[in-house]
Amino acid sequence: MPYRINLTQMCRRTSQPVTSRTQSNTSDIISPADAYCLNSAQKNPDQCEATSRDVTMSADASQHFPSTAAHEPCNRRSSFLRRPYRYQRETMADDGEDEGYRWESGYEKTWEVIQEDEAGLLDSSVADLVARAKRARLHQSRPHVRLGIMRHMFVVLDASEAMFVQDLKPTRLMCCIKILEGFVQEFFDQNPISQLGIIVTKNKRADVACELGGNPMRIIEHLRKLATSPCVGEPSLMNSLELAAGALRVMPSHASREVVVLMASLTTCDPGNINLTLEMLRREKIRCSVIGLAAELRIARHLAQETGGEYGVCLDDTHLRDLTLTHVQPPAAVANMEAALIRIGFPAHNTNADTPGKLSYCMCHLNTPAVADGPDRGGYLCPQCFSKHCELPVDCATCGLTLMSAPHLARSYHHLFPLEPFVEVEQAPGGPPQYCAACRARLDTQRLISKCEKCAELFCVDCDLFIHETLHVCPGCSRTTSGRR
Amino acid sequence: MRLNVDGLLVYFPYDYIYPEQFSYMLELKKGLDAKGHLVLEMPSGTGKTISLLSLIVSYMLEKPLDITKLIYCSRTVPEIEKVLEELAKLNRFIEKQSGQKSKLVGLAISSRKNLCIHEEVSQEREGKVVDSRCYALTAGYVRARAAAAAAAGPAPGGDEADEEGRAPPPTCQWFEQLEQDGRDVALPAGIYSLQDLKQYGRTRGWCPYFVARRAIQQANIIVYSYHYLLDPKIAEVVSKEIVKSSVVVFDEAHNIDNVCIDSMSVHINKRMLERCSNNIGSLEKRIAQIKETDANRLQEEYQRMVEGLRDAQMKRQTDQLLANPVLPDQVLEEAVPGNIRTAEHFINFMKRLVEYLKMRLRVQHVVQESPAGFLKDIFNKICLDRKPLRFCAERLTSMIRTLELTDMADLSPLVLVSHFATLVSTYTRGFTIIVEPSDDKTPNVYNPILYFRCLDSSLAIKPVFDRYQSVVITSGTLSPLDMYPKILDFHPVIVTSFTMTLARPCILPMIVTKGNDQVAISSKFESREDPAVIRNYGNLLVDMVTVVPDGVVCFFTSYMYMENVVSSWYDQGIITQLQKHKLLFIETQDAAETSLALLNFIKACENGRGAVLLSVARGKVSEGVDFDHHLGRCVLMFGIPYMYTQSRILKARLEYLRDTFQIRENDFLTFDAIRHASQCVGRAMRGKTDYGIMVFADKRFQRSDKRTKLPLWIQEHLKDSMCNLSTEEGVQISKRWLRRMAQPFSREDQLGISLLTLEQLQSQEMQEKMRERVTHRV
Repeated sequence: MPYRINLTQMCRRTSQPVTSRTQSNTSDIISPADAYCLNSAQKNPDQCEATSRDVTMSADASQHFPSTAAHEPCNRRSSFLRRPYRYQRETMADDGEDEGYRWESGYEKTWEVIQEDEAGLLDSSVADLVARAKRARLHQSRPHVRLGIMRHMFVVLDASEAMFVQDLKPTRLMCCIKILEGFVQEFFDQNPISQLGIIVTKNKRADVACELGGNPMRIIEHLRKLATSPCVGEPSLMNSLELAAGALRVMPSHASREVVVLMASLTTCDPGNINLTLEMLRREKIRCSVIGLAAELRIARHLAQETGGEYGVCLDDTHLRDLTLTHVQPPAAVANMEAALIRIGFPAHNTNADTPGKLSYCMCHLNTPAVADGPDRGGYLCPQCFSKHCELPVDCATCGLTLMSAPHLARSYHHLFPLEPFVEVEQAPGGPPQYCAACRARLDTQRLISKCEKCAELFCVDCDLFIHETLHVCPGCSRTTSGRR
Repeated sequence: MRLNVDGLLVYFPYDYIYPEQFSYMLELKKGLDAKGHLVLEMPSGTGKTISLLSLIVSYMLEKPLDITKLIYCSRTVPEIEKVLEELAKLNRFIEKQSGQKSKLVGLAISSRKNLCIHEEVSQEREGKVVDSRCYALTAGYVRARAAAAAAAGPAPGGDEADEEGRAPPPTCQWFEQLEQDGRDVALPAGIYSLQDLKQYGRTRGWCPYFVARRAIQQANIIVYSYHYLLDPKIAEVVSKEIVKSSVVVFDEAHNIDNVCIDSMSVHINKRMLERCSNNIGSLEKRIAQIKETDANRLQEEYQRMVEGLRDAQMKRQTDQLLANPVLPDQVLEEAVPGNIRTAEHFINFMKRLVEYLKMRLRVQHVVQESPAGFLKDIFNKICLDRKPLRFCAERLTSMIRTLELTDMADLSPLVLVSHFATLVSTYTRGFTIIVEPSDDKTPNVYNPILYFRCLDSSLAIKPVFDRYQSVVITSGTLSPLDMYPKILDFHPVIVTSFTMTLARPCILPMIVTKGNDQVAISSKFESREDPAVIRNYGNLLVDMVTVVPDGVVCFFTSYMYMENVVSSWYDQGIITQLQKHKLLFIETQDAAETSLALLNFIKACENGRGAVLLSVARGKVSEGVDFDHHLGRCVLMFGIPYMYTQSRILKARLEYLRDTFQIRENDFLTFDAIRHASQCVGRAMRGKTDYGIMVFADKRFQRSDKRTKLPLWIQEHLKDSMCNLSTEEGVQISKRWLRRMAQPFSREDQLGISLLTLEQLQSQEMQEKMRERVTHRV
């Protein structure tokens, strides 16, 4: 039985009444694109919470839906998804030992990275600086904009000769793939109702390495395969953009269309006039962002400027990670993006134990039974056609209905009502020792201290970042509100 | 914004100002107060033009009696247009601030080619042809004849011709209209660019060129090319009547000495002499013809010759094409010598002169002599005296006018020879005559040339310094500053170099002295053919090309060297490696080819393909083309662009400089080489948001005599650690630097450091800093 959820009510608008839409025939269709980010809404989270519970149910399922996802094998989502990217970094350098010898690479003056402060001492709190930069990013106040939460994004990965350069460790390609893996997880974590695809360009050609889809495991698998493929020739920016545009063009207009290019090469080898492609992209409202790995390339900056994307050049791998992760946040919606309602099914989860149903294969692993554990009773049944899927979110392989669980949607929710940034405070010297409200670590005067303005609790920097990037809810506030209740 | 510069209210039409602009204005103000000459160096892209205009115009408004006129000399038409744009902006700002209509008149003056609006004449492509066709329509006698024809009654057709059997000559309606409406109509206040002048001419029905010429007297600000002031042949016509209390500005003046020299020099080769003989033949025929029909006219001319040349001058408003080279005043007072007064005699005189020159060109070895020696020889051989030679140019002009010849372009060789005769007999010092049997470039082909070469750049510019109250010489690259006052022979009151305040280190100069194999790289004569050196240059370029995005420009010391290197690179496979990363374009001596290459170079840079341009220092590209932003992310200077030291002309000039100005040969050569090198690398840096790498690839650059001669704004960033790099080191540094420069950079980052608002400018601290900067005097 499909649930119908009315997201239009979830997303609050100050001026416009939402009643007209809720009364329409298609009220069982949600429109994430209608989401507004309103600072005013943040002021009373209780009220928001109340509206979000406004989920109605219906048995009506006679509508036609455009299906975007194809039949694709689907692996089980692991706990990977929840792992914040920060913890994956350590594993990065371990891979790819066979990437040439150390003495073959250009020598680097590692000591020049170290900066001295005015007293001639080495700056010990480099981590502090990094944290500060991250905080600065969080602090960027969001204006009242509409966000495109339902996103379709192609990541274009340059696999040309230039990717083999070893200035990022172990090679640019390996580094990018590692970072992209983290990005993919983070992306789906924050945008569960979005789709991602990968295009690889080398040897003057562009190929789709992974079609648009909503399954992070599949994408990561494809990414890992890329790591072993050779880097040859020159990339073609135009070919990859054309390819991406061809796939994105048919996407429904309420979804945002994006391309993120990771480009190491300083040239592009194009079969025609790239400016025409650029014009087309602008017309189709496809937002292109470029992350350069080496230096500022004019056409790349131009492309980003024209299509409303971002352009950045990485300084090192950490910066590259930061640049990539900026694309996790949904962009502001394109002005004339259509506000439409879409149907979503919320299947209930059957576990092996509590359902007496028959043994069956899930739709995702029908063709590859070897991968699956074998037929079982558990899984998610599509409320429309009752085909079984082993994991969410997914587009139903039979009827094309978008299936997801309510927590997925709820996770998109923090984009609409983000947690307000904490303020930085100085600890009064001589006062009693203070402790972080989250991890109970002792707050030292030397370190940054953050304070939630609502509940006036103090947090250490690490917790601050964790709360804002992962939790999206202030533990202090939730404690005090629940305490009040 | 309205600034207070040392007590003077200065209108500055922007909301932000660079600190160095303010310092620049401060110095300029001091110089104008002292009524002296100035030499100011400030990097390109820091707003020299608007600083100059703002201060001088504001000065004019405040003290209209001290400065009455601003003459702004620039090099090319696009540059002139840029100046006019800034000026118009300033004018609008002044009007807005003062709330009343400004009375300033500012205009650009250019050749007929750029100003003509005549339907047919303006279609011509070549400047000379336009001049000559315009002359054919507007010359006094043409107009007189047309007027006579009109007075005789409206000509019904071709059958009724005038007494000479010809149809009444066509005239230019625009010019006629202007003549009719009177010569004294003033141009309404405003700023007129070339386009505006044309527009104004069209609406009033007047010829824009002559409107502009006549407005010189009236205008407060005149913008034109160097030649109008420096070339004595033109200066006498255009700029003669400009008042003394004017300020003259030479922008981009790093090559001013060469302009001066070129304007006084004449080259004659065999082909030209042949054409001279033809010219003389046609003149002879024409004289015979006129003698039969209208002997009276020749008689009149003879009378004029007796009376002297002065009165003839007054009538020559439009017939100015053949103005003479600088004649000392007494020459104009005197009567023309008897032996060239009649037309036939003068023709014979010229015949003998041309034959003599032909004889002189018949040499097998190089001859060098002074003008005095030449005059003595000419007297001994063909008995031509010095005095008639001096009148040669003027006499020829007069004759062409009398004969009513309109096709001036044809007669140019003869005119040139007459100029030569006048110059050689007028100046005895500072010139040399060299006859070479063949060209420097093709030493085996017999092609004799007579060079009459000015050695003293101060000759042409001397009248300017003497006449005008303040002369400002400014450019991005004038270092070392003490050289210019020496070679131009003047005494400036202020000599200053300004550096560029930058919010980020946006230039990266470095001196690469050795390749990865530690072989020193240098373009010095002994090692330039060495394949190891050429290979190292190639590897340097290949390595840079792999890390630098978009456009890369390389400069070689000469075309010949470039050809050699490129062909070796081809053999060594370096060209193939280059083409893997970027497209390759090469500047050639052919202007059309080069501009096509440039066009495609820009295209390749724009669409992300990337391109390398190989060009030559002192070539067209190194002087006139800007490679801003992505067009020139990196400039490589392969070798030190010394002049060709075996050239006899150069040797003669060096000798002269040593004897007259006590400048050592080596000093001058280095000065010249370094100014060209810095001019080349300066192409990449055209503003504060721009950034670029400058690679000096020669071992000799790291010597202090070369390094210290670079402009201050480059030297400042050329740290000791950047001075003795190998290719590998240079590439690593560039790589890191390029990443840093690619980070977002906004106006906010500049504010307070390299960009100031009015409040910031007025703060105490900034004022102090500014004063400090000014003490950077060289």
